[in-house]
Amino acid sequence: MKKERIFVWTCKAITLLAISFLFFIFLFIAKESFIFFQKTSLLHFLTGSRWNPIADPPAFGLQPMICATVYVSLLAALIALPIGVGMAIFLSVLAPQKIQRILLPLIDLMAGIPSVVYGFVGLMIIVKFFETHFSWSSGESVLTGSILLAIMILPYIVSTCCESMTKVLHHYQQTSRALSVSKWHMIRYLVIPSAKKAILAALILSLSRAMGETMAVMMVIGNSPIFPHLFRKAETIPALIALEMGGAAVGSLHYQALFAAGFILMFVLFAFNSFFFFIRKRIEEGIK
Amino acid sequence: MRNNNGKTSHLSLRLWLFLSVFLVMASLCVIFGYIFIQGGSELSLSFLTNMPQGFPLGIDGGIWPAIVGSFWFTTIACIFASFLALPTAIFLAFYAKTTRIVSLCHFFIHSMAGIPSIILGLFGYTFFVVTLDFGVSILSGGLILGIMIFPFIEVRVEKTLLEFPKNIMQASISLGITKTWTLFHLILPGCIGNIASAIALGGSFAMGATAPILFTGAVLFAPSPRSIFSPAMALPNHLYILVGQGVSISKAYGTALVLIILLLVLNIVPLVIKMYRKER
Repeated sequence: MKKERIFVWTCKAITLLAISFLFFIFLFIAKESFIFFQKTSLLHFLTGSRWNPIADPPAFGLQPMICATVYVSLLAALIALPIGVGMAIFLSVLAPQKIQRILLPLIDLMAGIPSVVYGFVGLMIIVKFFETHFSWSSGESVLTGSILLAIMILPYIVSTCCESMTKVLHHYQQTSRALSVSKWHMIRYLVIPSAKKAILAALILSLSRAMGETMAVMMVIGNSPIFPHLFRKAETIPALIALEMGGAAVGSLHYQALFAAGFILMFVLFAFNSFFFFIRKRIEEGIK
Repeated sequence: MRNNNGKTSHLSLRLWLFLSVFLVMASLCVIFGYIFIQGGSELSLSFLTNMPQGFPLGIDGGIWPAIVGSFWFTTIACIFASFLALPTAIFLAFYAKTTRIVSLCHFFIHSMAGIPSIILGLFGYTFFVVTLDFGVSILSGGLILGIMIFPFIEVRVEKTLLEFPKNIMQASISLGITKTWTLFHLILPGCIGNIASAIALGGSFAMGATAPILFTGAVLFAPSPRSIFSPAMALPNHLYILVGQGVSISKAYGTALVLIILLLVLNIVPLVIKMYRKER
């Protein structure tokens, strides 16, 4: 009995330790950024349009990066959502079991491709395509970043939608078959309307993945801290942190500004993720 | 609704589904095909086993230290993540007393999974490198990768444990056998295959990650590491440097191919385990 108690307490302690890392992450990022916010006002940081940490006095305006992050992610989600939902409908309703069993692991594999590899392929294919077929000065642009991001978030959309559509289908399948409703009719009038919540959940998940994506976007978007335009270079918040962190001395204002940028990103994504968590929970409860 | 019986019905729906399937499959094929075709010609024994050479570094020679470095980062990440994830999953599946605690823990774990990798890199830098003074090392990078894959492994392990037939636990309890004995002698041996698969998949996730180790463990050049307190090269970061600084595109293809092959191997582990268990 004593052994049992020790084991349960160890499990409890390690669970607590694991979860405390979440708070550590929050705390450590917040600590550095609050030092920054004491010196620069939050409003200035969010709305300032110039980012020049080495000027005298240094300028820390995050607005172009915030806009670029939102712009790229929204556009990517807009491109990926119809494709992902279509693929999910095909997989859950139309594809025979055999094809489903081959395709689903492939979709998972697609989510497992590292983002540097995506960035590399994007640079070699998408950026090159825009450079050779359009007379742009550079193929690195918001559009390139969104197309690449759209491909990267597809698997998340497909798997989120597919899961709930399969459940809906199981629910109605026998009745529909008995009434000899065609599969297409079922998709149009049963599957799509009842998957609305799942599609919303997929949208939020994919947006949060897209906004936090670092390497792939950084490699194809050009990284210049100017206000984003569809066909011109831009820089997202994760890219800003990844690029400038190496050059910022520990404890300097620049270092703290990067933490502050990270804090804002983390805060927004935390809100998104919480929203996703509760929608998914409601879907699960609704189907049960 | 008017023509619901003919083949022409729901034409736009058909077109939409066809286009989406085509686009997804096409992008998948293009990515893999491109890396395999372009990287295949670069792959050779000397590329795998030599040190990177030339100036700028990496323009010539091989990627051996990066392969070893990636192996170390992934191993430490898997050990640390399993150390956190297995007890957490066991606690949440069998010992947590109220559903309230379970759903609260699920919420926290889900939030951890949603933290972008670059933020983990920032945290790893202030916490492991600066505050705990581990320096830029395999240990710092591995630990932060472990935190990254912890939610991934925990969710899968907990699911496996919950899917294990409930009647075994009930029968044991009614026979007066302790939960812990049943867990170690009946349930864990039955789930070990799925647990190993979850860890392998988590490992593949850690091996491909760049941003978390960008300033916590990976460096431009280092010989094959001798201890976990020294920094090391890693495949994804090496690829980023080769591409980002325009060192050598052909070497970049080779590096990307090696990385993809290693990930495929880790992804095949679960399938092999499944087949092996079916045969028995």
